[in-house]
Amino acid sequence: MEAWVRFSAQSAAKERVFRAAQYACTLLGYTMQKNGAGAELLARIKQLEAHMSLGRKLFRLGNSAEALEAAKRAIHLSDMVLRFCITVAHLNRAMYFACDNVLWAGKTGLVPHADQEKWSQRSFRYYLFALIMNLSRDAYEIRLLMEREASGKRPKGTENGHQAQVDNGLQHLALRLRIQLRLLGHVLRSNPPLLLDLVKNACDIFIPLDKLGLYKTSPGFVGLCGLTSSILSILTIVHPWLKLKP
Amino acid sequence: MLPDVYGHLCAFLDVRYRTEDPHSNQSKWRGLHNPAMNMFIRAAQYACMLLGHVLERRAGPGATRAALRQLEASMSSGRKLFRLGNMVHAMVAAKQTIQLPDLVPRICLTASNLIRALYFICDTVLWLKSVGLLPHIYKWKWRNWATKCYYYSLLMNLTRDLYEISWLLEQAAEKEKAKENSFPWDTQDQDLICLETERQSQPFLPLLYSTLKKHPPLLLDTTKNLCDLSSPLDRLGIYKTNPGIIGLCGLLSSLVGILTIAKPHLKLK
Repeated sequence: MEAWVRFSAQSAAKERVFRAAQYACTLLGYTMQKNGAGAELLARIKQLEAHMSLGRKLFRLGNSAEALEAAKRAIHLSDMVLRFCITVAHLNRAMYFACDNVLWAGKTGLVPHADQEKWSQRSFRYYLFALIMNLSRDAYEIRLLMEREASGKRPKGTENGHQAQVDNGLQHLALRLRIQLRLLGHVLRSNPPLLLDLVKNACDIFIPLDKLGLYKTSPGFVGLCGLTSSILSILTIVHPWLKLKP
Repeated sequence: MLPDVYGHLCAFLDVRYRTEDPHSNQSKWRGLHNPAMNMFIRAAQYACMLLGHVLERRAGPGATRAALRQLEASMSSGRKLFRLGNMVHAMVAAKQTIQLPDLVPRICLTASNLIRALYFICDTVLWLKSVGLLPHIYKWKWRNWATKCYYYSLLMNLTRDLYEISWLLEQAAEKEKAKENSFPWDTQDQDLICLETERQSQPFLPLLYSTLKKHPPLLLDTTKNLCDLSSPLDRLGIYKTNPGIIGLCGLLSSLVGILTIAKPHLKLK
């Protein structure tokens, strides 16, 4: 019980749990529809999902300012690529939350003439850009770590390198690819925060891709991706060492 | 400009979230902590109630009143969603308060926390009904139970506050007596001593005021509990008021709540 109190005392914890529940509802609704469930049950699941979405939007009202603060902090990072990626990602997140606030105002009747569809598309566009920036940052970190690993192993590998040049060109390429993949696997295995962040962003990116119509999948797949990424972010809250820093 | 104002507001209120990881070089500012956000939304909800009542009295446009009511309902249901795990919080708090040294605060606060846990259970059932997951329960019955639980837990909190106030008043009175007895016993000064004694035994209200002024956490807690009492008193029909008064009291208690979150030393332990 004390563990729940400690967990829910953290700022994003409950919101992540409801996000997981929301996407679980999406997945459940899709599965039940495929299995021919009744319209009433599907309507109830949809209502629950909409309820959680609106509640989350309400508690996200302050997140725009938080994202701007995070962008202000990220500007002081030493590495230039990281500085650029993280700052732009936070700025896009701030815009996403601002659009989200407008959507909330429209749904609750404060701004009744807001075009829900237009603002929804806008918000997903900013969300997509933020995720692309996050994935670029992940790719950059992976590249750095792979180069570090490769340069650490090079003294051992020079003899093998000479031998590889003698072989066939295609085999040489396949060998190099295998070495790169093994290196990638090793880097990701020895950096759980980076792996978690990569998987989380990869899962999340399917949501705006589907909603913007760029890569249509099924609502079930979107629900599954959302649920997975929410569970992974809950994991980073429960175990703070799993969170990718900065 | 608006985020800047917002940032300054947060800095002013000093609602900083302490990061769990002591070795992290992230800044300590992590936006609004959930309880703070809940208090802000609660304040906004009661402000809507108050505004709606004022507009009704002045026969304001119907559309505005309807929009305010819808906004209030939306904030109320959103807050209910985020209250879902709170019965566990109340049980854990009861486990902590049962270890208090003083008898009266121990009993009052533990009872209050246990009754609050029951309130949160009723609240969860009402949420399940509002979402459509439990369509066959009687909403009015559960709402009545929830209001009664909330009312009794507030009464327990107020009992504790009154106990602390009476204890402090006793201490203040004893201090006055001690001051009185420290005067040198001289027959020449006897008349002077009598006058002093008359002056020292102050009337009750100013003594209460001066005692509460020296203990702001107790004053804030008492004010918050008294303000919170208006809503259940109205719902249970014990003391009917109007939505305006309930809105005003709710707004005041939410502001006190925000203050105690922003300045933790103002929270009554």
